Amino acid sequence: MSNIALLTGNQAIARGFFEAGGVVAASYPGSPTVEIMESLKEYKDMHAHWAMNEKVALEIAIGGSFAGARSLASMKHVGVNIAADPFMTFTQIRTHGGFVLVVGDDPGLSSSQNEQDSRFFAKFAHCALLEPSTPQEAKDYVGLGLSISEEYGMPVIIRLTSTLCHSRGAVLLGERTPPSIAGFTPDQARYCMLPPHANAQQHFMQERIAKLALATDSLALNTYEDTDRRDVLLVTSGLPYQFLAELDLGYSVFKLGLCYPLPIAKLKEIAAEYARVIVIEELMPFIEEQLRAAGIDASGKQFFPFTGALTTDGIRVGLVRAGILQQGTTGAGTPPPAIPRTPMLCSGCPHRPVFHILQKAKALVIGDIGCYSLGILEPFEVLKTNLSMGASLGIMQGMAMAHRTADKARAFVAVIGDGTFFHSGLSGFANITESKENITIIVLDNRTTAMTGGQPTPTTGDLGQATHAISITEVLKSFGIQDISVADQFDYSNTKNVIMGAMKRDGLSVVVVTRPCALNFDVREPHFYVDRDICISCRACIGVNCPPISMKVYEGQNKKNSYIDPNMCVGCSVCSQVCPVKAIKRSTAPEEARP
Amino acid sequence: MTTNILIAGVGGQGLVLATRIVGGVAFRAGLQVKTCDVIGLAQRGGMVWGSVRFGHAVHSPLIPEGQGDFLLAMEELEGLRWVSLLKAGAVVVLSRETILPNRALLEKDDYPKDVPAQLATHGLKTVCVEANSIARQLGNKRLANTVLLGALSNYLPFAPDTWLEVLRESVPSATIELNEAAFGLGRTPSL
Repeated sequence: MSNIALLTGNQAIARGFFEAGGVVAASYPGSPTVEIMESLKEYKDMHAHWAMNEKVALEIAIGGSFAGARSLASMKHVGVNIAADPFMTFTQIRTHGGFVLVVGDDPGLSSSQNEQDSRFFAKFAHCALLEPSTPQEAKDYVGLGLSISEEYGMPVIIRLTSTLCHSRGAVLLGERTPPSIAGFTPDQARYCMLPPHANAQQHFMQERIAKLALATDSLALNTYEDTDRRDVLLVTSGLPYQFLAELDLGYSVFKLGLCYPLPIAKLKEIAAEYARVIVIEELMPFIEEQLRAAGIDASGKQFFPFTGALTTDGIRVGLVRAGILQQGTTGAGTPPPAIPRTPMLCSGCPHRPVFHILQKAKALVIGDIGCYSLGILEPFEVLKTNLSMGASLGIMQGMAMAHRTADKARAFVAVIGDGTFFHSGLSGFANITESKENITIIVLDNRTTAMTGGQPTPTTGDLGQATHAISITEVLKSFGIQDISVADQFDYSNTKNVIMGAMKRDGLSVVVVTRPCALNFDVREPHFYVDRDICISCRACIGVNCPPISMKVYEGQNKKNSYIDPNMCVGCSVCSQVCPVKAIKRSTAPEEARP
Repeated sequence: MTTNILIAGVGGQGLVLATRIVGGVAFRAGLQVKTCDVIGLAQRGGMVWGSVRFGHAVHSPLIPEGQGDFLLAMEELEGLRWVSLLKAGAVVVLSRETILPNRALLEKDDYPKDVPAQLATHGLKTVCVEANSIARQLGNKRLANTVLLGALSNYLPFAPDTWLEVLRESVPSATIELNEAAFGLGRTPSL
């Protein structure tokens, strides 16, 4: 019992890398894979590194692999887009130290800006793709993936989905295989990807995939569960296999652990015995299309959704649609109406006053990726675009150009956080320094990657473990940007003057706001309360939209006044500064006396 | 037979730890266990949920519709949200806690009235727990979830010692005694 633990899919990946003698791991935080690196950091004897972005993370792992060390890079699906440039060329090189790229897809977009199906990257890059269905498999597939990588000379993608990343199951723990690191041996034909070396590798990539497709039987990654029935063969992979198992239907199932390359010859042979072949997969018809291209009469996507996370209920509905199941009972009745609960900025969040100021200024604001993406939501609704990491700068530049050409020049504002600044904002900044448009960029330097749980950024500095920090202001000065102001958002009127002033000036202006994340750094000052004798129920404080502030009818009153929940208030003071009649006051009661 | 427990709450309430503890207790008792919980964007005051499934052969970490045996609701509105996942006659352990969602703060939606009565109309057995006031009496509002786990433990086939063992391993060491007390108060049926 003691060598079995209940681990999440993410933790199991980390454990697998540890046991397989992994040496170099790097990542950039993004849901759903954040916990892989956080778990890796708990192991000794390996390098587990948060990089500035996914491309740098991948390159660090590539360097480890070049030096003969087993290496891993982990990232969310959209991170692969950032890392795709080195990955697509790295894949041409015959791998030295085993290399796995762990990707977390997010069907249903629970915390992402798109829903791309990363499995296509495997075909695109001529490399193997493994898809575990349990935390145990997640652990096992890391070791297997590293071995495949070394034997066949290719990077291996392990594809997870958000549900598997966050779900726990029993995992058998093993010992760590001691790493062996051969070191880097210069070999330009192997490592310098230019013609003619890169031309030769096109053949190599084809050959290794064909070789692996023939060897799948010996790898124990795919399982054929042959029942006596010959009416339907179900082909599936990953978590959908577990959802299907839950239904306990008694059909034959071909479970793929290796989704690229497929064991096409074997599948053809088996499929010929069945009247129908139905593929159950999330998102795009990746498996189904490969089967059909090989001449297998498979169907699937016509019965199952192309978007969203597939569940046991979704599989049941799809199989009813396919005429395989009768309409079963689902649900215990209509749910009662439950009003929505959307995410919102935390109590004392330093982004709040910035959005309040921009909303009142009716500014046209170009958004970026981070907690501050919540500025899209009501009541602020100030961000008018949201695309990808660091995109605000280029988008704003192009938009301003188009507006000026149309004689519609106006002030533009972009917001970008410190994490995004270093992830992919630097090049956008370097590009915009010469701009003559009326552009204001607000850098929200809260000194952490807050949305993903508070990983450090280069500005975390002494608020975290780091002994030095990079100053965003100094970086921008070195770019030659002259108009840089610094403001503390909790001084509301000064911040407002600084932002409004910057928006009025032509050319590029930058405002760096400096309050640290209240949640991550546990900022807590004495709370505020509403003096009902002064409150005029104007709702100015409601407009700053802080979780503790609501309107309520106090006992013995017949109208609503605003109310601040003392247990939730962290004392940032912003509401008190927007109150026109000074009805919001800081409590002088000692902290222990909070109700 | 698989037992299905849904845990529902608001981002920041400590749902991930609660899910881990319930799963850990079932696992310690020698059963097959699968759990899941949402993290990410939902952390910022959004709705969050966790699932714990245990038995002798558990495949999916998620609870199929209409299969939930128990709902541990850390907040009243969140107690209402997941009714369609529950079996008729399921037990709801409901914390008498109200956290207004954004649209209620903005006076655009009304927070639901009399949640226990609404749950009753769906044929659910509701156990109301004053988890927050008990936690505050103990001097630490973060103990509310442990009070709720104590209340839930009355309905699950695990020994109190197993719960306490897992609890001790899961909470900060300085708060072990307080957590034990909170669990005991939650478990006391007179509440």
